[in-house]
Amino acid sequence: MTFAERMVHIDRRIIFLVIGLCTLLPLLHPVGLAINVSPEVRAVHDYIESLPPGSAFLLSMDFDPASKPELYPQAVALLRHAFKRNLRVIGMTLWVSGTGMADQVISQVAREMGKTNGVDYVFLGWSPGVGSLIITMGQDLYKAFPSDYYNQPTSSLPVLRDIRTLRDVNYVVSLAAGTAGIETWYVFGKDKYQFELGGGCTGVIAPGLYPLLRSKQINGLIGGLRGAAEYEVLIDQRGLAVAGMDAQSVTHFAIIALVILCNAFYAVIRTHARRSGQERVGRVAEE
Amino acid sequence: MTFLRRQLPLLITFVMGVVFALQYYVPHPASEQLLTTVNKWLQIIGGFALILGVTSLFHQHAVKIRRREPGWGYSFVLYAGMLLTVAIGLWVNGKETSNGTMTAFGWVYTYMMVPLQGTMFAILAFFIASAAYRSFRARSREAAVLLVAAVIVMMGRVPLGEHLLPISGDITEWILNVLNAAVRRAILIGISLGAVALSLKIIFGVERAYLGGGKE
Repeated sequence: MTFAERMVHIDRRIIFLVIGLCTLLPLLHPVGLAINVSPEVRAVHDYIESLPPGSAFLLSMDFDPASKPELYPQAVALLRHAFKRNLRVIGMTLWVSGTGMADQVISQVAREMGKTNGVDYVFLGWSPGVGSLIITMGQDLYKAFPSDYYNQPTSSLPVLRDIRTLRDVNYVVSLAAGTAGIETWYVFGKDKYQFELGGGCTGVIAPGLYPLLRSKQINGLIGGLRGAAEYEVLIDQRGLAVAGMDAQSVTHFAIIALVILCNAFYAVIRTHARRSGQERVGRVAEE
Repeated sequence: MTFLRRQLPLLITFVMGVVFALQYYVPHPASEQLLTTVNKWLQIIGGFALILGVTSLFHQHAVKIRRREPGWGYSFVLYAGMLLTVAIGLWVNGKETSNGTMTAFGWVYTYMMVPLQGTMFAILAFFIASAAYRSFRARSREAAVLLVAAVIVMMGRVPLGEHLLPISGDITEWILNVLNAAVRRAILIGISLGAVALSLKIIFGVERAYLGGGKE
């Protein structure tokens, strides 16, 4: 076996080790490169900046623990921004397995920002139905959620004063790891009830949401850990996302290097095979 | 019996399909009230579907355990985990916290489910790197174009890439906002037209796979 063939069939544990080191070392020794903010992330930030204090902001945390590394920092950054702007925050989730995590993030950030449950924010929790839940919220929020996650009657909460339906919400952001998510909120919510909608999502599904962004069906999109890092830069509160960007940078370059190396070895193998084939044909012709 | 299994579901599908397709365009309060009521029914049925799903999962793994099929030990672990979590959840009324302190259910969620799910997806990064190394080869012109675009986007989406090659950020934005958006839009339109066609077939009873009998 030639060197190139051995390299193409290298033990994958070596690749795992390379990726592991590329992720770990930058976390231990951060570099802190500058992060450029994209227009789609800035759009979400600027819209929240434009909302007057007391506006209703609904954050639907439609993800489960599997997507926590990418979407949890987005949720933290958005909640910090919303609480700093003194918006009335309504938290909820369309994913039952994400309920506990959504409760943790909103409670943690609210505590950090000195906000009171029922007065400054409410966590509605999860209710079955997805599309039908959104429609019910659009018709009558109190029918969809008669009580919040802590069994407080929603109709008596000061934070939900003057909010009857989704039409009364000023801005909805869905942080989505898949379906149900941003498209669900658009199809069953924004199209009928005409509220402004923004999105946050994992890096994997972000490219699929660009048609909605380009046609202004969503006014902004925070994509993956990079999007969360950009948002942290915008609100000037660097956290988990910015800390993870160095590791992501090195890992991306490691994968680029691996792909280039693989193609280089593959080209060598092909050239060698072509030459061997020509030599064999030449020998047969001489005989 | 055939009426209950065939004709009645088809009739309900037809009536509800036509009524709610038209309801969208009728802004009358009675129409909105009908929508609200039926959506509440849907939410209730959704709750029952959850029970159905769990029951089906139980049955599937019970058969595996009874027949001692390969991997039946894992089915046993699934049973134990599910029953334990349900029991604990019912004991604390499904709450992760109570008066600021974490409940047993919250402990199971925070220290078992969250790390396990996170780990499962975190290890994907290693497998993706290995798969990229083995299969991301420029075997043809199209594959070479895909490879170059992938490398540019991978560079443009991280600060190090933008630092080393500033233009990679702009090119990445262009690829995502122009090329990618155009192609995804075409795919979305195709899927949507297909969904409309399938919905009409279901409403008019042409497509009956959901009944379990297939087309007639």
